[in-house]
Amino acid sequence: MQVFFQTLVGGLSLGAIYALVALGFSLVYRTMGLVNFAHADVVMIGAYVASTFYMSAKLPFVLAILVAIVSTGLIGVFMERVLRPLENKDFDLMLIGTIGFGIMLEAIAILVWGATGRAVPSPVKAAPLDILGVRIRTYSLVVLAIAAVATTVLILFLQRTKRGTAMQAVAMDHEAATAVGIHVGRSNAIAFAIGAGLAALAGGLAGPLLYVNPTMGASLGIKGFAAAILGGFGNIPGAILGGLAIGTIDAFAAGHFQGYSDLVTFLVFTVIIMVRPTGIFGERTVNRA
Amino acid sequence: MFRQTSARRLAPAAGVLATLLIAGCHAPGSSSTPGSGASAGPIKIAVVDAQSGQLSSLGAWESKGAKLAVDEWNKNGGINGRKIQLDVFDDTGDPTTGTNLARKIASEGYVAMIGTAESAVTIAMAPTLQQAQIPNITSGQATGLVALKSPFLFLNGPTSTTYDETLAKYVVDTKGFKSIAMITNNGSFGKGEHDAFLASLTKRGITPLSDQVVTTDQKDFSAALTAIRQKNPQIVFIGSEEVEAGLIVKQARDLGITAPFAGSAPQGTPVFASTAGATNVEGTIVSSPYLSNDASDASRKFAAAYKAAYKEDAELHGAKAYDGTSIVLTALKSSNGATGKALADAIRATKYNGLLGSFAFDDTGVGIFATKIGTITNGNLVAVNS
Repeated sequence: MQVFFQTLVGGLSLGAIYALVALGFSLVYRTMGLVNFAHADVVMIGAYVASTFYMSAKLPFVLAILVAIVSTGLIGVFMERVLRPLENKDFDLMLIGTIGFGIMLEAIAILVWGATGRAVPSPVKAAPLDILGVRIRTYSLVVLAIAAVATTVLILFLQRTKRGTAMQAVAMDHEAATAVGIHVGRSNAIAFAIGAGLAALAGGLAGPLLYVNPTMGASLGIKGFAAAILGGFGNIPGAILGGLAIGTIDAFAAGHFQGYSDLVTFLVFTVIIMVRPTGIFGERTVNRA
Repeated sequence: MFRQTSARRLAPAAGVLATLLIAGCHAPGSSSTPGSGASAGPIKIAVVDAQSGQLSSLGAWESKGAKLAVDEWNKNGGINGRKIQLDVFDDTGDPTTGTNLARKIASEGYVAMIGTAESAVTIAMAPTLQQAQIPNITSGQATGLVALKSPFLFLNGPTSTTYDETLAKYVVDTKGFKSIAMITNNGSFGKGEHDAFLASLTKRGITPLSDQVVTTDQKDFSAALTAIRQKNPQIVFIGSEEVEAGLIVKQARDLGITAPFAGSAPQGTPVFASTAGATNVEGTIVSSPYLSNDASDASRKFAAAYKAAYKEDAELHGAKAYDGTSIVLTALKSSNGATGKALADAIRATKYNGLLGSFAFDDTGVGIFATKIGTITNGNLVAVNS
């Protein structure tokens, strides 16, 4: 029983990171119908920027993450601006464009920070909580709380603000949205910026849990992408649920199947997707280009 | 209108480009007459290692150690008046990339290869290198390397068997620990460590309390570590590379495992310590042929040169690559710049007193058969008198 709960706790704390990665994927997808393959590398850039400001500039951790969110947000805006001429023209090129951006970001990270990587000390010094023999890292609680807050803010933004509802409208029918005077390009730019900001949040928070290096995006990106699909691609609560689910499945697979855990995780994923091709929340409204 | 002007502008540009391309294609073709390239000009040695990815720290240390040796030889006039040219290739820690690079260095006239630091990549590259008759000094330590029986493959350090037998001897025979847990990864290195340590334990009549296997890419070890914690072992054996081992130890301490960890080469590195956190690795038992830069006059000299060149402290992997490269260069010198089989034979015949100890290669390509035991005390790896 102790093993069960401990595994669950471990799975959920990494799952929160996957969830944040999945949110970024889903947000861009629902708005533009585009899978941003550079997303995983933006996560990595976010982790680097946050850890640089936290470790070298000695900024408080929260501030360092905010700096990372703003800078990757700008990267997101830039990416959208470069890709904008392709919108509604050649979708495949746009996809390849995002892959290209990803490769570029990785190369830039190697140029700026070197290939070796760095370990980030945990910003929360408090000892792990011990609840009936199950140990919970205080930092993991912080990560879960931040993920919850980020999701809530995002949902409120999309549902309660004018800009957010405009983005929803673009997601549903971008031609109709243009007809009623919504600037589709700007809406896409905001989606890209918020997506990149979420990536930085995920990367920054993952730093102290993992090891920051130029290829850290790869495994976070794959699991995050799987999480987004699992929850229902484009669905915001689905991304969160998908992330936590992937984290948990991964943790239990590791416990029971040891060296074959990756295989089992993605087998389970495949079975779920075969049964429910649209994911848990079944949203896949966007179908453009 | 616009199209016309741009086409007119493009025409001369295209002409220039074409000329450049022709010139560009011509240049390497004319300079690479194979016969003259082999005996004149610089002697080309390749370093193949992960320069990017999670294992890139290994690659960085290794290329630095190799470069240091080559620079010293070049400063002293090279080999028979020929300079040594060292080129670094990035295998990203991936066997497929490695085999492509093996073909590349075979076709580009490299006489020897230093690396890789990953047994899996070295094993993948070995057949190509053996066919091309290019001697390879690897930093890998998996027993699978020896099993290849390639006459062109040499190890610049002991195998896992030596590391782990020495470790088991200390942990079980000297310290008297009987309840031991294991956590290893399923990569080439981790598997080798697992098998070697388990064999040493079995020989002593000990069955591990818990034998956990993780993947090389795993990030959360809660399940495996909780299983270990429930058995309450006196010591935990860890068979995994620097970064993952660091994460394992960090999470183990968070989960309340207080038993010390024991491992081989990766556990003596600064990356392991910084990933896990300095206080978390305190007391870690390490089996390594190169415990500290203060072990001997040779190592002090090496460490000083390393620090001067790269502004960072030397460690095991740099020292191994330095030894391995020095052996190749010594063999090149003694064989008068031989290549292929003759060079491999010269390497095998080289008796070399290096930073790791005295090298004398046997038929399997292993040159050194001893490690020392150290523990991490106050953040430093300190030798244990046994």
